[in-house]
Amino acid sequence: MTLLASSVYADHDVESRLTTVLIGRFASYVKWPPSERTHFVITVLGDNPFGTMLDELYHSKHIQNKPVELHYAQTLNQVGPTDILFINLHNASGRQAAIQFAHQHATLSISDSRGFADSGGIIQLNIVEQKTQIKINHAAAIASGLKIGSPLLSIATVLRKEQP
Amino acid sequence: MFNRIAIRYKLIILLGLSGGFALLISSLIMVYSTYLNQSKSSIQILHQLTDIISENMRAALAFGDANSASNILASLQANPHILLAIVNDQAGQVLSEYRSHLLPATHAQVHKQALAQILREHADTLQQTDQFIQRTQPDWMGVVKPVFFEGQPIGTLALLSDTRAMWKEFRRFVLMQVIASILTVVLLLFLSLKFQAIFTRPILNLISGMRNVAQTKNYRTVLTSDHQDEFKHLYDVFNSMLVDIQERDERLFKLATTDALTGLANRHHAMEQMHGMITRAQRTGQPFGLIMIDLDFFKKINDNYGHQTGDLVLQETAKVLLSSVRDYDLVTRLGGEEFVVACDDASLQTCIVIVERILQGLASHNIEYTPGCYLNVTASLGVYSSTLHSADTSIEAILSAADAALYQAKDAGRNTYRLA
Repeated sequence: MTLLASSVYADHDVESRLTTVLIGRFASYVKWPPSERTHFVITVLGDNPFGTMLDELYHSKHIQNKPVELHYAQTLNQVGPTDILFINLHNASGRQAAIQFAHQHATLSISDSRGFADSGGIIQLNIVEQKTQIKINHAAAIASGLKIGSPLLSIATVLRKEQP
Repeated sequence: MFNRIAIRYKLIILLGLSGGFALLISSLIMVYSTYLNQSKSSIQILHQLTDIISENMRAALAFGDANSASNILASLQANPHILLAIVNDQAGQVLSEYRSHLLPATHAQVHKQALAQILREHADTLQQTDQFIQRTQPDWMGVVKPVFFEGQPIGTLALLSDTRAMWKEFRRFVLMQVIASILTVVLLLFLSLKFQAIFTRPILNLISGMRNVAQTKNYRTVLTSDHQDEFKHLYDVFNSMLVDIQERDERLFKLATTDALTGLANRHHAMEQMHGMITRAQRTGQPFGLIMIDLDFFKKINDNYGHQTGDLVLQETAKVLLSSVRDYDLVTRLGGEEFVVACDDASLQTCIVIVERILQGLASHNIEYTPGCYLNVTASLGVYSSTLHSADTSIEAILSAADAALYQAKDAGRNTYRLA
């Protein structure tokens, strides 16, 4: 039982580490509207599933030629201007509000919650047995003023019409 | 062995060998150049394909999307020469692979092991941008390139293609080259057969001319050549040599047949000539005459005036004799002050006319032995005419008869003649 629990934790750890890597890589295929921000801001909304992994990975790194700045917020109210919003909220209404926030502020919303893309979120990222499944709501991205590069679209399941 | 072969065949062999050797060198260079070009072209295509696939593969590798990677690699089916394609992530794990249906699983396993070895051996190289590993084997060639994302290596892409198309093209070229070479060699041999005559004909003509000269001894022959090259020089040298031989022969003939002092025929030559005349006269029945001349008191001339004057007298006498006889009569100095005139086809009357001319000629010929000092000589002559003798008389008998008649003239007081 202890061994099984240990294995589950290890898999979760690997998936979290992979997710931290992929969050940054998504940025390489997304074009944001011009912004005066001097930093590239990544915000984690809700429980932080990455521990210190994000800090360790993006410390002194640059994305889009800007130094990376990490923010952590428990509620939407705590979220400031950000380029990427990783949504880790457990209730659907909270996620929907966060999606709406991202939509209004030209923010790339990412979540591993099931149905996230179908709900208007831009990138839904699921890692199953260390295999990545990406679902992109392209219509939502366009509505947010974001342009997603074709290489990323080519490897993802793309929703082209706005979901209800 | 080669020295025994005729020049024409040597030329054919040399021309053929020269052309064939040049063709062989040219063909080898062409074949090798084509092999390099084909190989370079094939590997270049593989590089281009690897670059394109790498570019498309970047996102799939970046997000560890095996399905997308498989879809991208599946596009390689359009190229039947791609045998194997493998995408590895940065940890060395296979993200996706493509295997052509033409590649048996056992072979694929061998290739994978070869690729794995390349990845192990060149792990450091494949971490650097613009680096690649390529291998060319007899039955396949492969390229391994790193895939980069945001300046960081995120995996590798390996493509293996078979070399059948390259070898097929190469074999086709070699076949064409062999056919072209054979045709060219045949053409060269044909041309060699024609061209060798340019060189051999003047030589053969010269050999034929030399053989003809050797058989006929006609050293006046002049060999001509249309060539203006070394053959012309060879012909000129040969003709010059013939002229030298002709002049030497004439000189030797003169030395062998004439008397050095008077220039008249010498005894040996005269005997041969007179033998011929007598034989011909006996065969044809034509008359033949022989006049033997001996200067009177020649010893006194030598004693009184010296041998130099004696020699002068002999030379002047020869001139008188030559001016007194017909063109075709033979005048000979037998020795000392004794001369013989052989008259071919001459009746007794003709002989007597000639004798009279000799006696008158000598009588009227003043010999200037020193400036302003002259002397005259006379001679006694014995005349033999075949009209007075039997036909089968020998030369010795004729000479003897003429000599006897000459002494009769001497006995008769000299400066006269007697008939034998």
